[in-house]
Amino acid sequence: MKLTLGHTITMRATHSVLPMLLCTIIAVVGCQPQLPQTVRSGLVYCSEGSPETFNPQLVTSGTTIDAISQQLYDRLLDINPENGELIPGLAQLWQVSNEGKVYHFTLHPNVEFHQTEYFTPTRPLNAEDVVFTFNRIMNSQHPFHQQGGANYPFFQSVDWADLVTSVTAEAPNVVKFELSRPDSSFLSNLATDFAAILSAEYGQQLVTSGELALIDSKPIGTGPFRFKEYQKDLLIRYYRHKNYWRELAKPEQLVFDIVPNNARRMAKLFTHECDVVAFPRVSELGLISQRPDVSVQESTSMNIGFWAFNTAKAPFDNVKVRQALAHAINRDAILQAVYFGHATAANSVLPPTSWAFNPNLPVQQYDPLQAKQLLAEAGYPNGFSMDIWAMPVQRLYNPNALKMAELMQADLAQIGVRASIISYEWNSFRRKLGAYEHDSVLIGWSADNADPDNFFRPLLSCSAALTGSNRANWCDANFDLLISQALLTPDQKQRRSYYMAAQQYLAEQMPLLSIAHSQRFQAISSDIKGVKINPYGGIALANAVKDVE
Amino acid sequence: MAKFRLLPDEQLARSPFKQLWREFSRQHSAIAGLLIFSLFFLLVLLSAVLTPHDPYLQNDSLLLLPPSWSQQGLVQYPFGTDDLGRDLFSRLLVGARYTFGIAMITVMGALVMGLLLGTLAGMTKGLKSSVLNHLLDLALTIPSLLLAIIIVAILGPGLQNTTWAIMLALLPQFVHGIRNAIAEQLNQDYVIAYRLDGANNWQVFSRIILPNIWEKLTLMATMALSTATLDIAALGFLGLGAQAPTAEWGAMIADSLDLIYIAPVSVAIPGLLIFLAVLSVNLVGDGLRNAAKKRREN
Amino acid sequence: MILYLLRRLFLLCFVFIALTILAFSLGYLFPGEPLQNFTGLRHIPVNQLEQLSAEYRMDQGYIQQYLGYLTRVISGDWGMSFASEQGLLQEIKRLLPATLELAAYALLISFFIGIPVGIIAAIKPEGAVSKIISALAVTGYSIPIFWWALLLIMIFSLGLGWLPTAGRIGVLFEINHVTGFMLLDILLSDTQHQHEAMLNALRHMLLPTLVLATFPTTVMIRFTRDSMLEVWEQSYIKTARAKGLSRAQVLYRHALRNALLPVIRQIGLQFSTLITLAMITEVIFSWPGIGRWMIDSIYQRNYPAIQAGLLVISTLVITVNMITEILHTLFNPLARKR
Repeated sequence: MKLTLGHTITMRATHSVLPMLLCTIIAVVGCQPQLPQTVRSGLVYCSEGSPETFNPQLVTSGTTIDAISQQLYDRLLDINPENGELIPGLAQLWQVSNEGKVYHFTLHPNVEFHQTEYFTPTRPLNAEDVVFTFNRIMNSQHPFHQQGGANYPFFQSVDWADLVTSVTAEAPNVVKFELSRPDSSFLSNLATDFAAILSAEYGQQLVTSGELALIDSKPIGTGPFRFKEYQKDLLIRYYRHKNYWRELAKPEQLVFDIVPNNARRMAKLFTHECDVVAFPRVSELGLISQRPDVSVQESTSMNIGFWAFNTAKAPFDNVKVRQALAHAINRDAILQAVYFGHATAANSVLPPTSWAFNPNLPVQQYDPLQAKQLLAEAGYPNGFSMDIWAMPVQRLYNPNALKMAELMQADLAQIGVRASIISYEWNSFRRKLGAYEHDSVLIGWSADNADPDNFFRPLLSCSAALTGSNRANWCDANFDLLISQALLTPDQKQRRSYYMAAQQYLAEQMPLLSIAHSQRFQAISSDIKGVKINPYGGIALANAVKDVE
Repeated sequence: MAKFRLLPDEQLARSPFKQLWREFSRQHSAIAGLLIFSLFFLLVLLSAVLTPHDPYLQNDSLLLLPPSWSQQGLVQYPFGTDDLGRDLFSRLLVGARYTFGIAMITVMGALVMGLLLGTLAGMTKGLKSSVLNHLLDLALTIPSLLLAIIIVAILGPGLQNTTWAIMLALLPQFVHGIRNAIAEQLNQDYVIAYRLDGANNWQVFSRIILPNIWEKLTLMATMALSTATLDIAALGFLGLGAQAPTAEWGAMIADSLDLIYIAPVSVAIPGLLIFLAVLSVNLVGDGLRNAAKKRREN
Repeated sequence: MILYLLRRLFLLCFVFIALTILAFSLGYLFPGEPLQNFTGLRHIPVNQLEQLSAEYRMDQGYIQQYLGYLTRVISGDWGMSFASEQGLLQEIKRLLPATLELAAYALLISFFIGIPVGIIAAIKPEGAVSKIISALAVTGYSIPIFWWALLLIMIFSLGLGWLPTAGRIGVLFEINHVTGFMLLDILLSDTQHQHEAMLNALRHMLLPTLVLATFPTTVMIRFTRDSMLEVWEQSYIKTARAKGLSRAQVLYRHALRNALLPVIRQIGLQFSTLITLAMITEVIFSWPGIGRWMIDSIYQRNYPAIQAGLLVISTLVITVNMITEILHTLFNPLARKR
């Protein structure tokens, strides 16, 4: 057995072994051969974590969205990254009628789905696919509804099932959405990365073969890249979608190299093992700018890093305790030590660039004395013990949660609160958070669209508390009323007044302490052109070109 | 001198310990190792007094201060500060306690347990001994890191749990070595003679065996100490051992890995200290081994 | 000889059974539900709970459960991984070759460097060359491997930019998994750019192999040297010398064989250390082997994976141990009597 194996190898390889050996012996280090096309025009994006799934409907985590959404899928509407306005995506045009309760979308013709080893499409995209996609979320009879635990966190947090009464195909290329009430954020939500369009034909194939679970692990979409392979914690490999309906993607191959460690990701950028690196460490931005072979891109981004208290647990159910803890934290020190000054202190969950921002909020003061007094009033004159959960990965809104937690640990010790820092591997961390096992957590949120609602309902509403994405586990009727009323009116002025009131209410109730709005950074190799930071949602890599000399 | 010399060589008149020391002190490397070793040992005992700053105090105004030999450095902070403004020098001093001090405790623990079990295995015969031996063979095959992983998985990460793991990992070698040494001694004629004099097991053990295997024990302990130090540091580095903010050297390297471009010193120095500590132990061990060999040859 | 082999085989079985008992009991010792730890299903649907309980004999005594476990292990049903929800055996099959490849190359290096250098050091034990070799050996023996790896990465990857920092091959090369040994797989693959892939893989392999080889090489040097010196003192060597054989002849005909015998045994004894070091090396160089997988499993609280990893790694070490011991005995009939 062994012999024959050796034999075939030598047979096949003799013609290549000799020169190879020579080349190796001369210089393992220096030899730079002519690389094949798929390798040369391939792009390596070093990401910070593994995706949980390949279906954006099922998650809210930025890590997953970055890796899958813009690469594999298209949406009915897109967001213009320049100004945040909605532009046509798979839907060429759309009409609103019946006082904002009925929407018609006309689909772009000849949009092809991916052709892969496991699926060959026989028809282009039509209205059936859109109906299939959205019925999966809202119709419990849908064959795929139960897949992945029937959990659609983003859609549940915006109350989708209650809002949308039906999605129907009026014509092969026309889809009709009927709503139970007008909702001023509806179109924006359709443009988020979560609202990716799946293939009904692929779904049918899986129903026939009985492998329902594959729909979320072996994805089929219409996006610029098609799925090739995924090795957990190692890499995701995509190839160019040759029949893409828009301009073809520039890289023939796109690899997401999964490197959770920040220092290692930077090292890979410097050794050119990565072309684009997610979240370079802000502390090293100066270092990167000194090097000619790499550069940094910076843009303002809609995000918020915060410290959420599990308000369903004692003592965090007491508003005085929450306020005391908020007063105990020295945010200026955090901005310096964790964000290295590349962030602005946050007063509200909403970034100041949003039109609904409330500029009249009181500035959160660092005041250990008042914090102590509030603790005493709440009945904890000697403090208590608590856990701070710090996420293990770097995210836009919080470049180093563990370090932030260490700083806060020292701050809290001054008012007699003994904090211990807890962290798990990222996927377990999110799972345990969803089950509300935490006391408090350092985490945050990046906007998926320009609508202010995106900062309130997915984060702090009662429905978000039910799905597990409300990190403060906070359900408050007054607050829910304010944000749902804001949705019913299309009048921007009136909406704004509701959101102002909601922010004021949050500042009083303090279910979470807003810490900072961070700039978004991305480090790229200088020979890469055409990669831009999108202020909303995930990263798009279809237009990246590698300069090969 | 007198006409009759009972012993041909004056050397042999000295106690075995003195002979050993004589051979030992002839080797420069061994003496150097012993010096460094004593230095580290003193550090373990006195680090709490020696630290110029509180190793856990965060100083917001002095983040990432460079070492004192660079332009922006301060003399009060010889190696600078880390990214939370803690004095690196003080942390390194305290680190000796965790990495090296705990390694010593671990070895002590393993030695005591090994002596107990090894004696039991060496002095008994038959089925009991055979089962014990085979269990030992099994334990010897489980790599120490694997054992640590299992213990951490059961008890959770932390310095204390990994200490148990390393102790358990060292134990089989001790038991094995001690058992063999005892078995070797038991076959000696003088043991049989002593037994014929009516000595019981305990007397044989305490009067004859223990003094005779003492040298071997010391050797085993030094080897185990170098392994234990490396293991504690490695587990700290992997995040399974000492947890932040504990200033254990391995964990400190892992912590400052993020700063490898900005403050390479904070990666280099803890590693250098681990290296020096282990090197000193190994030099002493090698010296002892050579000295013991030479003594027996004479 | 056959009797000896049989005895070894029996011992192997005994150790394996003890090992499976240990692995089985971990299912209870680890936090969480034993049924979850055994099946590797984190969320067991209520309607399957009863059926699974029966299948895993959870309602019966420990001995019955253990026997069930043993049958499953032998038949290849190792349960699932919490993290990836894939079969554990399949995962291990994919990962183990990577570790073996790394360890094998490191062992080879330690052989080809360690033994000759050790012999050179033994020729003139008090000479300058020998002193330098000893100094290097004790340095290599004392250096913490993770720090050593970081130093090399800092110099050769970040400083000079010569070598990559992580992985087995550039991610843009798509090499099909056939044997799991990267170099073999590249030779077996029918891509047109074998050269480039091979070169790329070698560049990736260089640093991890060097780092991993450091410790066994120094052990080999020290051991060969000591063993040679010891043999050199033996009376049969003196006799051979007295017969008028030259130094080289004595070395080759008499000393080498006798000196290298214990070295073979040493490989087996050091293998467990080698695996520990390989695990750390894998973590630092992001080498997708079983060691990195085990350490990730800790972070992910992936208990079934730890259980299976224990079984595989220990079996591997035991087998290597046994093989070297048998080889040792084969060449040295004296050892058989014990």
